[in-house]
Amino acid sequence: MAARDIAIIGYAQTPSQRDAIQSEVQLLVGTITDAVTMAGINRREIGFTCAGSCDYLTGGPFAFVSNLEAAGSWPPISESHVEADGAFAMYEAWMRLQEGDIDIALAFGSGKSSPSNPAEVWAHQLDPYYLAPLGADPVSLAAIQARALLDSGRATERDFAEVVARSRARATANPNAQLSGAVDVDALLAAPYHTAPLRRHDLPPISDGAAAVIMARGDKARELCSRPAWIRGMDHRIDPHQPGVRDITTARSATMAAQKAGYDGGPLDVAEISATFSPQEIILREALGLPDGTEINPSGGPLAGNPVMAVGLIRVIEAAARIIGGGADRALAHATAGPLLQQNLVCLMEGE
Amino acid sequence: MSAESPARKEEMVMEHLVSLTYRERLTPSLNRFVDRILEGELIGHRCPSCSRVYVPPKGYCPLCVVTTSAEDEVQVSDRGILTGFTIITPVAYYGQQATDPFVYASVLLDGASTPVGGQDITGVAHDRIHTGMRVRAVWRPPAERRVEGITNRGWGGLDAVIESFEATGEPDAAPEAYKEHLF
Repeated sequence: MAARDIAIIGYAQTPSQRDAIQSEVQLLVGTITDAVTMAGINRREIGFTCAGSCDYLTGGPFAFVSNLEAAGSWPPISESHVEADGAFAMYEAWMRLQEGDIDIALAFGSGKSSPSNPAEVWAHQLDPYYLAPLGADPVSLAAIQARALLDSGRATERDFAEVVARSRARATANPNAQLSGAVDVDALLAAPYHTAPLRRHDLPPISDGAAAVIMARGDKARELCSRPAWIRGMDHRIDPHQPGVRDITTARSATMAAQKAGYDGGPLDVAEISATFSPQEIILREALGLPDGTEINPSGGPLAGNPVMAVGLIRVIEAAARIIGGGADRALAHATAGPLLQQNLVCLMEGE
Repeated sequence: MSAESPARKEEMVMEHLVSLTYRERLTPSLNRFVDRILEGELIGHRCPSCSRVYVPPKGYCPLCVVTTSAEDEVQVSDRGILTGFTIITPVAYYGQQATDPFVYASVLLDGASTPVGGQDITGVAHDRIHTGMRVRAVWRPPAERRVEGITNRGWGGLDAVIESFEATGEPDAAPEAYKEHLF
């Protein structure tokens, strides 16, 4: 099956930052150029381009059209857009590569959360009858999820703080991280609640950023990259939209996506997962079936930098980078969308 | 669906008005553009690769995909060529304040490679407006110029600084001068 013959050979991301001075397109111009340069290709060799972004976040209808300028879209190119994280754009580009008639594809994701009030914006992705009119914002929903997890007896507030301390510590080695440093778990637990039972550090930062990956097929990938990150499987699954009709202390669609992507629970060197709030790392570790020895979010994960619409693709990049760099043989990347881990994408990668 | 069906009687309509607020910092190149138009000057960025001049400056050339900066800044004229127009007869949709037919024109300023869109044309009967017409900016008085409508999206808002364009009376431009900008 052609699916086994596609690899990531180039990538780039901006630092995750608040109040980026560049426009969203400007963030992408440098990022896509860097990914193309790393892949060692000419832009015109790209057979398909797919972008991920959100007009509600950018604050303008058809904002995604100007983002395409960063891909060099004249003379015309073959392209598509998803109103979703760049990881979902990558999924479409990966599917397109499987047609077998093109060798190279570009996927990118971008978003600036700083100009808006994310609590206002994201309430509008909920159902328009019951939850959107309530203004149910992501932090409030995440606090309900955290409470349910505590009540299930599977985690404590100390577990949440330990996730944060690990994220900040690992992020010190990540030049693109927004939050990093040595923090003491007891000091974290002494902080007041932001939205009980979550404290401010259990929340991701508000971030602007962009990310891009170049994928290539078979021999083209081997020719361009000495150690490509081979995509062994990729899948995404969706839970019911209404959080009230599912068990929010788990993510069944994440479990299914991991299985369908070919992850069998075996050894993994690295897992980069979109745990946007600290309790979600505990939920996802269980749902994805990550073994004990796996290093989870060595980049620091979304708690260290959360450029929505790029953050999932950055998980893929961080996992792929460790394979391409030789530090890992098998890595899993996870992206999410929707309220409380409703939609989940898993990408399983290996070295050769 | 028939009016007497029981399902129809149970339909409920709810209003859900959405208001979202965005606070955006202008990019450095647009900040500079805004400073200059308040002074009555129009600037753009000249691409170091293809020499096209983008007005307002984008901070990159979308054709060459290279970044541009203050070093690439050039001033362009407030006169140019009308490259396209629409005469709009307003209908009373929500928010529409105009009642009389008005013009939306694109103007290719002398020295620029990109037209500025959405400009009003005044002092010319609507049935005399035509592409190739030479026009010049009618600037609002300095104290009345407003720049809040200029955003990182890169279009719109200029009408709060330049009230309209009027005919200069010069002969029409040759089609070769603007044929790439017709649409």
